[in-house]
Amino acid sequence: MPLAALDDWFPFLVYGFFALAIPASLIAGSFILATRPKTTARQRTIPFESGVSVGPPKQQRFTISFYLTAMLFIVFDIEIVFLYPVALWLDALGSFALAEFGFFIAILAIAYVYVWKKGALDWRT
Amino acid sequence: MDSGLNQPWWIDLIKALIVINLVMAAFAYCTWLERKLLGRMQLRYGPNRAGPFGLLQPIADLVKLLRKESFFPANAIDLLYIAAPAVACFTALAAFSVIPFGGVWHVGDYVITGWIANVSIGLLLIFALGAIGIYAFLVGGWASESKYSLLGSMRTAAQLVSYEVSLALSVLGVVIMGKSLSLVDIVAEQQATIWFAAPQFVGLLVFFVAGIAETNRPPFDLPEAEQELVAGYHTEYSGMRFGLYSTAEYINMITLSGLAVTLFFGGWGGPWLPGPLWFLLKLGAFIFVFIWLRATLPRLRYDQLMRFGWKVLLPVATLNALVTAILVALL
Repeated sequence: MPLAALDDWFPFLVYGFFALAIPASLIAGSFILATRPKTTARQRTIPFESGVSVGPPKQQRFTISFYLTAMLFIVFDIEIVFLYPVALWLDALGSFALAEFGFFIAILAIAYVYVWKKGALDWRT
Repeated sequence: MDSGLNQPWWIDLIKALIVINLVMAAFAYCTWLERKLLGRMQLRYGPNRAGPFGLLQPIADLVKLLRKESFFPANAIDLLYIAAPAVACFTALAAFSVIPFGGVWHVGDYVITGWIANVSIGLLLIFALGAIGIYAFLVGGWASESKYSLLGSMRTAAQLVSYEVSLALSVLGVVIMGKSLSLVDIVAEQQATIWFAAPQFVGLLVFFVAGIAETNRPPFDLPEAEQELVAGYHTEYSGMRFGLYSTAEYINMITLSGLAVTLFFGGWGGPWLPGPLWFLLKLGAFIFVFIWLRATLPRLRYDQLMRFGWKVLLPVATLNALVTAILVALL
């Protein structure tokens, strides 16, 4: 890759530095400027439990559906990763790229129908 | 675009400094506008005590958030708990850098461009930063070791990844028509041909709906459904750390509106008025719609949200991309 292509990224680095500096300075400012409590009690710092304070949770669990959603996301996100380059060159490559595009989506449609029939797209708790 | 522009490094520095402060100011007055508009839509006045029309309210809010006790839950994981809101704010701010807000100006010998960075993968960069932003929500909720936080962050992550698929697919049509991932090139293409809102109307609809879900705005504000989850992933956050999460949320909304303007409504292009003003007007219109939706629509149920994302938006976005591909390749 020519080094000149990296020149485009210099303004982004400068801007990114400021984008990092603003939240960092706000966090630091909240440490310096924040009021301190006069007394400390353990009850104040245990997690919020809407009424019944039983202390921190021993183990945290959540439903398996979240995991399933994450797996589906990976499948479809990879699809997008493959579709973007083809989409970018579609005009230049013409019907060849279109055939690739259609073929890829056809394969994906089979997987999508399978996932739908299996009921993975329904939210179950 | 030609890269032989006469741009010394200090122009980039000054421009970055000005733009990032403008984005922060836009965020501050976005909160003011939201409260004011919501107030008017609910037959109230909204904030009207600090300054004329409550215009100093954002500054008062900043001082209050900074002065609030840096509360720290007993079981929280120190570094992650503190770093997560900063990461959320960073990704939200950084994503704005590739959105063009004006044309090219010639000042003396120098050339000043109306964008911070014109990288060849601008659109992907925004999605990538948004994906890192998901980590901030996930890690923040997990690190505070509270049931509500954990459930809220899981919900947030599941919702964001579900709608990110539709969001990324809905702009595929724009990429096909614009023949570039650089937002500057896409705006130039629109000025040469037509605003992509007309040929990509379905894409715009999917993009907008998925975008509302991506920014956790009503009616998709399930991550913060206060009746079920108290406050979602930021239940254990207060003070400036909570403020950074809310900053991230508003700036995400601004960036997403800017992206919608750039991709579908010709960016900064428009007759008579200068480019940045057009950009600001279109941006304001989008933000108004965001706030209007919040005042109008009730929240969805979680299974409805997931079903809508996977069974409606995703096929529609894919079909839109396919039809666009066929039309562009054959015509």
